[in-house]
Amino acid sequence: MTSMYNFKRITVVPNASELKDVVLSKTQRKTPTVVHRQYSIGRIRAFYARKIKFLQQTLHDKLTQIINEFPKMEEIHPFYSDLMNILYDRDHYKIALGQMNTARHLIDGIAREYVRLMKYADSLYRCKMLKRAALGRMVKLLKRQKSSFEYLEQVRQHLSRLPSIDPSTRTLILCGFPNVGKSSFINNVTRADVEVQPYAFTTKALYVGHLDYRFLRWQVIDTPGILDQPLEDRNTIEMQAVTALAHLKASVLFMMDVSEQCDRTIEEQLHLFESIRPLFANKPVLIGLNKVDIRHRGDLPAEKAALLDQLEKEGIPIVETSTLTQEGVMSLRDRACDELLAQRVEAKIQAKKITNIEDSVLNRVFVAYPAPRDEKVRAPFVPPGLAAKRAAKKLAAENAMDVDDVETVGASAGAVSEFRDENMRRLEREIELAMEDDYILDLKKHYMLKNPDEKYDIVPEIWEGHNLADFVDPEIQQKLESLLKEEELLEQAGEYESDLDSDDEETKEKMALALQIREKEKLLTLEHTVNKRIAGRVGSRVHTRKRERSMSRLEHELGELGVDIDTKKMKNLQGQCAKPQLGKKVCSRRSSISSPPLLQPRPIANERMKVGRARSLSAVRPAPRDELAFPDEEKRAHVDKLRTKAMRGLRREAKKGEADRHVYDLKPKHLFCGKRGNGKTDWR
Amino acid sequence: MPQNEHIELHRKRHGRRLDYEERQRKKLARAAHDRSQMAKTLRGHKAKLYHKKRYSEKVEMRKLLKQHEEKEQKNTMEQPDKGAVPAYLLDRQQQTTGTVLSNMIKQKRKQKAGKFNVPIPQVRAVSDAEAFKVVKTGKTNRKGWKRMVTKVTFVGESFTRKPAKFERFIRPMGLRFKKAHVTHPELQTTFHLPIVGVKKNPSSQMYTSLGVITKGTIIEVNVSELGMVTQGGKVVWGKFAQVTNNPENDGCINAVLLI
Repeated sequence: MTSMYNFKRITVVPNASELKDVVLSKTQRKTPTVVHRQYSIGRIRAFYARKIKFLQQTLHDKLTQIINEFPKMEEIHPFYSDLMNILYDRDHYKIALGQMNTARHLIDGIAREYVRLMKYADSLYRCKMLKRAALGRMVKLLKRQKSSFEYLEQVRQHLSRLPSIDPSTRTLILCGFPNVGKSSFINNVTRADVEVQPYAFTTKALYVGHLDYRFLRWQVIDTPGILDQPLEDRNTIEMQAVTALAHLKASVLFMMDVSEQCDRTIEEQLHLFESIRPLFANKPVLIGLNKVDIRHRGDLPAEKAALLDQLEKEGIPIVETSTLTQEGVMSLRDRACDELLAQRVEAKIQAKKITNIEDSVLNRVFVAYPAPRDEKVRAPFVPPGLAAKRAAKKLAAENAMDVDDVETVGASAGAVSEFRDENMRRLEREIELAMEDDYILDLKKHYMLKNPDEKYDIVPEIWEGHNLADFVDPEIQQKLESLLKEEELLEQAGEYESDLDSDDEETKEKMALALQIREKEKLLTLEHTVNKRIAGRVGSRVHTRKRERSMSRLEHELGELGVDIDTKKMKNLQGQCAKPQLGKKVCSRRSSISSPPLLQPRPIANERMKVGRARSLSAVRPAPRDELAFPDEEKRAHVDKLRTKAMRGLRREAKKGEADRHVYDLKPKHLFCGKRGNGKTDWR
Repeated sequence: MPQNEHIELHRKRHGRRLDYEERQRKKLARAAHDRSQMAKTLRGHKAKLYHKKRYSEKVEMRKLLKQHEEKEQKNTMEQPDKGAVPAYLLDRQQQTTGTVLSNMIKQKRKQKAGKFNVPIPQVRAVSDAEAFKVVKTGKTNRKGWKRMVTKVTFVGESFTRKPAKFERFIRPMGLRFKKAHVTHPELQTTFHLPIVGVKKNPSSQMYTSLGVITKGTIIEVNVSELGMVTQGGKVVWGKFAQVTNNPENDGCINAVLLI
């Protein structure tokens, strides 16, 4: 709401000559500048017409912006409308904006006229002169509105500095004679920082301050002092106060000076109160008796005190305040706020009563009654069985009422299923309620099977194609027990105790052996690093895989080191060996393609049940081509050597070898297109 | 002081900077240098605008200076001999101010100019080739008997075009004008008056009959708006005026009333 009355966003109104320079140079900058006599006349005309149109559009936009940005007197809140009338004179304002509008129309007209004339221009010179005339005339219209531009700029500046008063919010308005302490009061209750001076009419405009009361935000408006005179004689300064009083729905604080130091007697001040009283209609009014630090209310002469008492009797509260000592200031503020709040709440409730929610909804609903097209009665269809059913239900309900003193669980369950008959299946929930703790959730009873006896049979649990029951050993518990017993016996016999001592003969022997192994290892690594280049070039992967990690190799190599390998000790390796090895498989496949090894029956001792997904068979791939070409390994090695030798020169110079891919250009472009003058199809 | 004038408020409370006056003086003293620096560095369109503005300012200044000089000037003027003069009037010289002098000179110039008060005494002849454009006609665009008027024309209200086959001169709608800006030489005011007819186009009789309006053409305008009266007391409604501009170049007709 506040933003609606924020006039700070109006853009600066340029003065006429500035605007002229701006628009003309903009036209110069934003339109093409080079044209020549020998161009076609259409092009020349378009060149100049564009300039005219561009200027017109620019001016149109600028003027439209001015017209749109200034607030419309009719559309804004009457408070602001009146304030603007007082400060800027409504007629002047409207005329200035009207002139902008007229200028805009005229400029549009001129541009149209000259663009039309441009059609008949037959030379560059004439085009140019017409453009010149058009721009000149459009700009001259601006010059004529010089005063309006100046006026609007001043209005803009003043508008943007107006205090932002929200006309609809909770407001307190201070009013009274000049120099009675209005500004001091606002300085006390808010942070407005209004100038306070000991002479009349220090405040010449409206001031706004804000305060917090009851966790709400209130705005306080300080108005210039009002003199006791008829409305016509009031000047601009006073009229601002009157406008605020007239249009803002607010709590009015009429400040009075008890000490009469403002050169007005109490009678005069009360007379002013009476004369501007019409402005207070329907608003909470409070009187602040200010400057009680100088003279107390009790010290007043009897006749003056009587006047005040009379006013109090009329229901207008009088609060004694002193802005100097801050005595009574807060209480005045609180009372004013409370009264206004009460009034606003009441108004809101009233407003709600009038537009009751239900009523308003009913008012909005439209019920259509279709016009009958013939005599035929079209009553709503009621199924024939419904009446009987309803009667039965009614009867049942009556019965239930009769026996309600014996409230059993079953009856309550029946009450739940009030709208069901006996044939309907009962909900599990109802059964649960009826049986309470005895209830067991049975989902199987509703299974629809060919043979209903099988309902409660146990369903085998299948995981990845295997019945789990097959894997359960029923005697596992007994086995474990026997094992444990055996272990216990072993422990008692002292089987494990002898392992701990390390200085017997056997251990020493082992240590020596380990040392030997380590030395051999070191030697091997050294040898390996020396022969690395050769090692890097060992044949295909297939052969590598074939050679490494075979049981026989291990046995042989370790045997060389003097380790006796018992097959049972190397269980892990045995397991590895049991797995089909890639290299082996290929070899065997190649040797006997007719009988694939996978289909061969394995020895039963090695047979282990595979759990999980069966491994898919991979396609049979032929061996690498070099192997196919030279099945003999020696020959192959020789060929390899020859090849590397042949390639050495090429590789050294990074040349293209025979293995490098090359796409041959079978039809080179330069040989197959163009006339055959120079050479032949094959050479040129 | 209104609520939101923060700058003024601050100035009121704390005053200006202590060296404010000094800075202002220096700024003023420096202004000429700055201006000249700018005038030197400006280029192109901006320079053109700036120098034009500066030139007009200077003219303005010079005129003002001259005015002041004339005001202050007090010189003597020899009284022309008017025969014998009594002794007590001897050696008396009339004292005049410079303003009076120059005013007299200006007055004289004006009177001299008044003698040739025909708005445009000499008119450049407009050739047919300039005023008319040949329009090719016929099925194969071979015939060239048709002409289009390329100047501004006045066509009466009641004019109806001939059938296209017989229409030798085309006067385009866009170039037909109905009103002219007419200046009253004595009142020095301009009115937008409706044209009644073309009285005479000095270039050619044919132009007159076609209603072609060029510079120097005498047109008749409707002056009933001005409320002029003859010596006999009758209201004058038609008056002659001479066109002072090239309407086809300016897009409007400017004329001076002939009195």
